[in-house]
Amino acid sequence: MLNRDRIELIHREIDGANTPDESAAFRSLVAENPEARTLADELRQVIRLLDGVGEREPPPHLKRAILEALPWPARAVTPQTMTRWFVSQLSLATARMEEAFMTRKTMLIGGTVVAVAIVIAARIAGFPREGGTAGTIGGVEPAARYRGRVMTQADVTLQNPEIQALFQNHDILRLVQSSVFRDAMHNQAFRELQASDAYHQLMASDAYRQIQAVPAYGQLMASEAYRQLQANEAFRQMQVQGAFREAQSAEALRQLQANAAFRQVMASDAYREIMANQAFRELMASDAYRQVVANSAYRQLLANDAFRQLQANEAFFRLQASDAFRQLQAAETFRALSRSAELSDQFMREAMRVAQP
Amino acid sequence: MYLEETPAAADEQDRALVRQYLEGQRDAASGLVDRYQKRLFNLALRMLDNAQDAEDVTQTVFLNAFLKLRTYDPRYRFFSWVYRMTLNESLNVLKRQKRTVTLEDGPAIPAPGATTDEATELQDRVGKALMRLKPDDRAVVVLRHFVFFSYQEIAGVLGIPVKTVKSRLFTARERLRLTLREGGEEPC
Repeated sequence: MLNRDRIELIHREIDGANTPDESAAFRSLVAENPEARTLADELRQVIRLLDGVGEREPPPHLKRAILEALPWPARAVTPQTMTRWFVSQLSLATARMEEAFMTRKTMLIGGTVVAVAIVIAARIAGFPREGGTAGTIGGVEPAARYRGRVMTQADVTLQNPEIQALFQNHDILRLVQSSVFRDAMHNQAFRELQASDAYHQLMASDAYRQIQAVPAYGQLMASEAYRQLQANEAFRQMQVQGAFREAQSAEALRQLQANAAFRQVMASDAYREIMANQAFRELMASDAYRQVVANSAYRQLLANDAFRQLQANEAFFRLQASDAFRQLQAAETFRALSRSAELSDQFMREAMRVAQP
Repeated sequence: MYLEETPAAADEQDRALVRQYLEGQRDAASGLVDRYQKRLFNLALRMLDNAQDAEDVTQTVFLNAFLKLRTYDPRYRFFSWVYRMTLNESLNVLKRQKRTVTLEDGPAIPAPGATTDEATELQDRVGKALMRLKPDDRAVVVLRHFVFFSYQEIAGVLGIPVKTVKSRLFTARERLRLTLREGGEEPC
């Protein structure tokens, strides 16, 4: 059994870090000790493997993306530099897509994009569902009698099997018992948003799940300046535009730079932190996010003081990130039910009743 | 602080480019990106085993570096500074992702006359084996075997004593040896 000193001697020899005397000691050791010889041989083999992994060229668009995002050195960090960064992230995403079409992955990526587009189009157009697929999060499967036809308002009752299944789910019942969820459900804009397909997709995305864990996101969402910014038509136009590269020269951006709330948000620590967050950048580049931002219920939500307080509430953030909340979101009947204050109240009351021991 | 001063010509060139950038010469930014984008990208790639994540990290590091350039102390080595930022940003990405990796069974030692595809497969396997190391240990291995830093340089970049560098490196290589030899081991 080799002791620690001898093992280190072997490692240092392999790294060329031994003195001549230590190297002589190493040679004696491996000549006399088969275990030391085996270790030295195997470590050399590992290092040959590591050395054999060559450098990879960075993607061709990377340098341009970096340089486009850089602040002008003669000035301090300004809203313009942060905006440039914001826009460059979307430019980068576009460039990645362009390069993707030049690779072997084209078919795979193209196929995925087409599949996603079909799913979104089907949801927007309200195509009848042929199969009985569960929600993306799983856990709440639509009842068999509703598969294969479009849900109508008559289906949205507490007796609906899908709703009844929710009442059997302990996680959902715990969620319903939480005061923060009850507060949210009393908010009409929140209920409307829940009924939206785009919000449903957004909630199901990994990027959104990750961003929920970032405190700066909560701070930004809860800030007065961000609320004002969301009410700004130019800002929403910029967020909703598919081709963000065009936004750099767009009238919307020029208007924004004259907007005090925009400057305030861009200069805030929360915004800087959130813009450096990869999940947030992915989120902003997603179609679902753009649709949500363009959604009138979402804008109403952001303008709603009660909701802003909820956004600043850590428990609410945890709630939105919880599996139970996602299961609830996956239940189409619940989302349909959320549109009605009366049905929502009935649902909450019944859930509270069932939850009683 | 373990960052060290150096009179090396490369360091002098970095300092000159930083100075020119701060004086308002935008070409200097291009020069710094040319000098470091490949190195930082590969450093992040070995830490994350994902090209897109590595690309994001590289871009974020450059932006942060240029935003903070006025606070950069030119007595210290520019590359130490940006390498450390790259490792920290990579660690942040890993924390967010809490990624776990599985390693399929099979020998990792390349057969004589291995084809390009086999070489690619080998790279993948080495990448996966690296991902089984603890991130702090992986950083030391990456700096030693992909950036070819000395123990002292690694200590400078990571801000840890040389003794700790050796300890982490030797432990990590031992784990890599076992992983690559046996084709599988419990993840860290």
